[in-house]
Amino acid sequence: MSAPAPTPDISAFLASSVHDMKNSITILIGGMEKILAAADREGPEYRELSHMMYETKRINGNLIQLLTLYKLGNHLYPFSPEDWLLDDFIQETVSQHQPLLASRGIAFEVECEPDLIWPFDTDLVGGVVGHALNNAIHYTGSRIRLVARRGAEGLELRVEDDGRGYPQKMLDDGVAAMQGVDFQGGSTGLGLYFSAMVARMHRNKGQTGSIRLENGGAWGGGCFVLNLP
Amino acid sequence: MSTPQQLPVDFASKSFLIIDDFHGMRSILRDILRSCGVNTRNIATAANGGEAIALLEKNRFDGVLCDFNLGAGKNGQQVLEEAKYRNLVGPGCAWIMITAEKTADVVMGAAEYQPDAYLIKPITEATLRLRLDKIWAKKEAFAEIDQAVLDQDFLRAAKLCDQRLATDRSNAGELLRLKCQMLLAAGDHGPARTLCNDILAQRDVPWAKLGLARAHFAAGELAEARALLEALVEEQRTFLEAYDWLVTVLKAQNDLTKAEEVLERAARLSPNSVTRQKTLGEVALHLGKLDNAEKAFRKSVALGEHSVLKTADAYLGLAKTCSALNNPNEALQVLGTLTKQFDGDEVKVQALAAEGLVHHRAGDPIAARKAAQRLGETLTSTGVRPDSASTLEMAELMLVTGEKQQAVALLQDAVRSSPEDTALLGRVQQVFDGASMGAEGSALVEASRKESVELMNQGVLLMRDGKFDEALAALRTACERLPGNIRVLLNFAHLALSIMQKTAVDPALADEVRARLATVHRLSPGEKRYVQLMRQVDTLTR
Repeated sequence: MSAPAPTPDISAFLASSVHDMKNSITILIGGMEKILAAADREGPEYRELSHMMYETKRINGNLIQLLTLYKLGNHLYPFSPEDWLLDDFIQETVSQHQPLLASRGIAFEVECEPDLIWPFDTDLVGGVVGHALNNAIHYTGSRIRLVARRGAEGLELRVEDDGRGYPQKMLDDGVAAMQGVDFQGGSTGLGLYFSAMVARMHRNKGQTGSIRLENGGAWGGGCFVLNLP
Repeated sequence: MSTPQQLPVDFASKSFLIIDDFHGMRSILRDILRSCGVNTRNIATAANGGEAIALLEKNRFDGVLCDFNLGAGKNGQQVLEEAKYRNLVGPGCAWIMITAEKTADVVMGAAEYQPDAYLIKPITEATLRLRLDKIWAKKEAFAEIDQAVLDQDFLRAAKLCDQRLATDRSNAGELLRLKCQMLLAAGDHGPARTLCNDILAQRDVPWAKLGLARAHFAAGELAEARALLEALVEEQRTFLEAYDWLVTVLKAQNDLTKAEEVLERAARLSPNSVTRQKTLGEVALHLGKLDNAEKAFRKSVALGEHSVLKTADAYLGLAKTCSALNNPNEALQVLGTLTKQFDGDEVKVQALAAEGLVHHRAGDPIAARKAAQRLGETLTSTGVRPDSASTLEMAELMLVTGEKQQAVALLQDAVRSSPEDTALLGRVQQVFDGASMGAEGSALVEASRKESVELMNQGVLLMRDGKFDEALAALRTACERLPGNIRVLLNFAHLALSIMQKTAVDPALADEVRARLATVHRLSPGEKRYVQLMRQVDTLTR
C-alpha cells in the first residue's frame, strides 16, 4: 500500500500562484499599454488591443476578488480603513480605466464634492468601483459618470451610464441576486457578491455599508450605488 | 475633475532603485518609470536583497520600488528594515512595496519600518505617478514633524501636528493619529485619552480605540486597557498592533496563559515576525511549555537570519529551552553561535551565565564553576550592567557554583537599582530561597532597599527645603552608591539643571550631567525624561 498523499496546503498554493499570475498580468498590461500608446488610433489593431486590455483587467479583477473573499472568509484579510481625499481616490481608480475609455470613445465625467474626505479600505473599495466601471464600459451607450457625495447614509459613490439599464429581473431580485451564482445568465455573481461583502465590512456606530442597483441617474441608464457609513 | 492639490513632481531629476527577482518585472517597472519622465541613467536595479543593500549603501535614492517577494534570502520587508535601521534611505525617499496581494503577513512591520505605500500588482504608469506625487507632497508637508520624531522630541512633534491641523484638512486624520502616538510616547496619557475619546465620540476609529487602551495602560488601569483591547481584536481581527498591546497588558497582569493564547493567534496571522516569535517563546518557556517554546525560538532564530531585527534573546531562549529539554549539547552550540553573531559585553555575560547554568543542569559542576569564574572576571573587567532578569540569572549561577559573595553583590545591585519594584524584590527573594538562604536573603534585601530609599529621599527632602547644594551633594553620593538606579541619575540631572538655570552655567557640572544622562540612555534606552533633560543641557550650554 502506498502512503497517503500529503494534504495540500491550499492557501500556500493560492498565494504562490497568485503571486506568479500577478507578475504575468503586470507584464501583459504593461506591454499592451506601451503598444496602445504608440498605436494608430484609427487602425483596427487599436480597438482589438483595447478589448484585450479589457479582458485582461477582468481576469485580474476576478483573481483579486476570489482571493480576497477567501481571505475574508478566514479572517485573514488585513482590513485597513484610512482617510482618503475622494478626488485622489477617484483619480487613481479612474486612471486604471483611462486607456480603455479613450479607445472606446466613451465620454467620462466625474462629479465629486470638493475636499470630501472619507475613511475606507482603498484596495477593497477601489476593487468595487473598478468592477462597476468595467461593467459600465461594457453596457453603456456613449458616456459614464462617477459621482461621489455625502448622502443620508454616509458616503455615496455612484457609477451611472446611458445604456439600457439593468434588466427588470435583476432590479426585482435586488440583494438576493447578489448572493447566488447564475451560470445561465452569463454572470458568475462574483462581482456583486464581492461588492456587497466589501460594503458590509465598512461599519460605523452600528451602521453598515450597502450596495444598490437602479435604473435612472442623470441619463436614465444603469446605476451602481455604494454607500459607506 | 477637480485640479490636483499639488503641482506635479518633476520626475526627470529623480533617482530610483527597482528591486525585483523577476527580470520581466524589472524591465516593466523601468519602462513605467521612463514614461513617467525618469532619466534611465538614474534608475538602478537589483535582483535580490543583497544587491539592493549594496546599491543603497552607495547611493541616495529618491524612490525605491521593491517587490515584497524576492525569492530566497531577504524579503522586501527585510530589505526595508535594514535600509531604515542603517539609515541607508533619507527621510525624503519614497519607498513603495509592491505585492501580489494584500495579506496580514505583508502588512505587519512595526510603524518605524513601514513603507510609504503598498501597491498591489498590476502596477500601471498612472497609479505609480499619482502615488509618488502624493507621497512626496506628504513628505514635504510632514518634514518638520518627522524631524521632531527622529529627534525623539515627542511633545514638539505633537505641537507641530496641532499647528498643521489648523490649516491642513486633507491630512487631518493622519495628523490626529500621529499626535496621539506622540502624546503616548511622551507619557502624556491624559491628553491622549481626551483626544481619543473626542474622536471616538464622532466615529469608530480603530487606532483611537488602541490609543485609548494605551492611555489606560499608561495610567496603570490594566483591567480597562485589557477589556478595550480584547474587544478591539474581536472586532478587527487582523489588527496586529492591538494583539501586541494586549500581550503587553496581559504580561503586566501576569496572565501568561492568556498572553500565550493571544500571541498564538497573532502568530497565525503573521507567522514571520522575528520579534513576535521571540516573545511567544519567552512566554511559553515561563509557562513550562517547552515544546511550544522550542518551536517559537527556532522560528525566530531562522527568520532572523536575514533580518536586522534578530535578537540575542531568541538564541538565549533557545539555549535555555534545549537545556530544559535535556539537550545540553545543542544548548551550548546555540550559545556558541550567539557569541559569534552578536558583539558586545552584555551578550557575552548573558551567554556565560546561560552556559554555566546549562553545565550545572547537565550535572557538570566543574564546567559550571569555570563559566561562573569567567563570568565574574568579565563583569569586573567590562563593568557591564545587564538588566535585572539577567542579573538574577547570574546570581543564580554564582550561588549554585558556590560563589556566594559575588551572588550577594549582584542581588544587592539589582535591589539598589530598582528598590521600589516589588515584583523584582520578590524574584530576588526567590533566588535566595532557592539557595536555602531565605532568612539571610530577606535581611539583605531589606537592608539594600532601605539604604537605597533613604539615599533617594535624602536628596529630595533637601531639595524641598531649598538646600540645593546639599541636595546635589546627597544625590551625587546616591549616584555613586546606586550606579544602576535610573531615577537617581535623572533626579541628579534635573536638580543640577535647575540650579544652573537659576544661577550660572558650570561647565564641569554640565559635563557631569551629560555623563550621568548617557548612563541612563545606556541602561534604559528610550527613557522619556532623558530626551527632555538632554535638550535642557544643550539649550543651557549653547
